[in-house]
This record gives sequence, structure tokens and C-alpha cells, in this order.
Amino acid sequence: MNVKIKENMESEKLISLFNKDLCLFHLRSRKKFSILREMAHHLAKMGRVSDEDLIMEMLKNRESLGSTGLGKGVAFPHGKSLAIKKLTILFGKSVSGIDFESLDGKPTHIFFLILAPSNREAETYLELLSDLLTLVKNPEKLKKLHEVKDFSSLKVLFGGMET
Amino acid sequence: MKKNSRFLIALQDLDIMISEIKDKSTAKELKEMGFELSGLKELENARLELAEQISPAILNRYEKLAVHYKIAILPITGDKCLGCFVRLPTSFFSSTPTVELITCENCGRMLYIP
Repeated sequence: MNVKIKENMESEKLISLFNKDLCLFHLRSRKKFSILREMAHHLAKMGRVSDEDLIMEMLKNRESLGSTGLGKGVAFPHGKSLAIKKLTILFGKSVSGIDFESLDGKPTHIFFLILAPSNREAETYLELLSDLLTLVKNPEKLKKLHEVKDFSSLKVLFGGMET
Repeated sequence: MKKNSRFLIALQDLDIMISEIKDKSTAKELKEMGFELSGLKELENARLELAEQISPAILNRYEKLAVHYKIAILPITGDKCLGCFVRLPTSFFSSTPTVELITCENCGRMLYIP
């Protein structure tokens, strides 16, 4: 398959997993676990997780394994739990940036919180992580990612149609 | 959700995380993506602390099931066990409200009401 067509298909697949209601463009918390709590709380409010505290416990454990802040201002907190109803991505942006103990020591502004149920979608979850990382490795897309202000611009970044 | 069920779910989440990191192919994939996985010891310590909070009889039951099944505890949704997909008997639902954990008569997994 033509590489460009394949890339476009992957972008479309990726953006279809994002939901306007699960994008937070003005995260307010200033500390690592508070920002995770802010995102977990939003997911609970939107009915995506059945127990916010269980999600927090899993995310804290995941961070103790090694920070999911991979540098360049982007973090990918992720994990699986029975408290998650279906594969979910929350996009979050902190305009001021926070210390997320990232690998390059720089503040983190962009968060892709990826959660999957423990009993299914395990492969999709790793594929999704990999696809998002590919996006971030592209310097031009990374720059645009930091400039994203709303869901429409996020969709454009992923190659989808602007709404 | 009751206390033992909550702790068991947290324990299972942790066990899945630990088993992924111990799985060479998954660990390789995650490392290639750039993730650091140096805190396995911390996860194992967290597991020990969590296990201490669960009643020994329930923990023992979970540990035995976890040898056979990746998912040993599941919520009850609908009328089937989500582990083996066998329909649960009607009598099961009339007796559940007072019991914290129920056993699937077909596969033996622990079931809870979310």
C-alpha cells in the first residue's frame, strides 16, 4: 500500500479514538499526581471509569515503574484496570507546563492518558501508544501539537477533517 | 464496592502490570518506545503492601485462581460470567446482595457487583 495512504488511514483511525468531551485544553493542576487526578476525575465524571481511586492507584504504580513523561514536553500516562469500561484516550494540555519528572527534565505540557480494560483490547492499547509516539517523533507535528488550542486543531493535526 | 473487592482489583491491576514488564516481548516494545522500566522492585513492594490489606482466605483464593487465569476477579455485568461467558443461574442474583464475592460455578472466577 502507498505509504501516504497508509499514514492517512492510521491518522483517521487515531483521531476516531479521540472524543471532544475527553480533551482538556486548560489543565489547572501544577503537580504530577494532581494533574493525573484532574484527568482521572474528568474520566469518572464522563462515566468512562467506574472508580477514580482505583485508576489513580494504577497510574501512581505505573509512574513508580518509570516516568511516562518521555520528554519534549509530552507524557503518556497509561495502564489497564478493571475500573476502565473501554479503551479511552484523554488529551490534556497544561499551558504553563508542570514537572512530570520527564526524561529530559523539562516541563510537560501535553498529556495523552491512555487507559484500557484489563480483560481486553491489550494489543490495541500498545499499538495506540506506538502510533502516538510516532506522531510526537515528527518535529513538525510535535510543534503543532504544542500549539493545539481546541478539538478542531487536534483533528487537523491527526490528518482528519476540520469541523 | 466493598473493601476486599477493591483491594483485589487493585492487586490484579498491579499483577497485570508486573507480568507485562516481566514479559520480554512487551518490555522490549515499551523500551523501544522510550519508556523507562526500572522500578520493578517498587511495584513488587507495592504488591506486598496491598496484599497485606486483603483477608488471607480471600487472598489465597485469588492467588490460586491467578495461576490459571490472567483475570481472576471480574465485575458482574449482564447475566454471564465475563471470564468464561457461561450464563449465571437465576438463583445467583437473588442471593448476591449480601455477599461481597461470588464464585462462578463454571470457571471458579471471583465475581463482584460493581
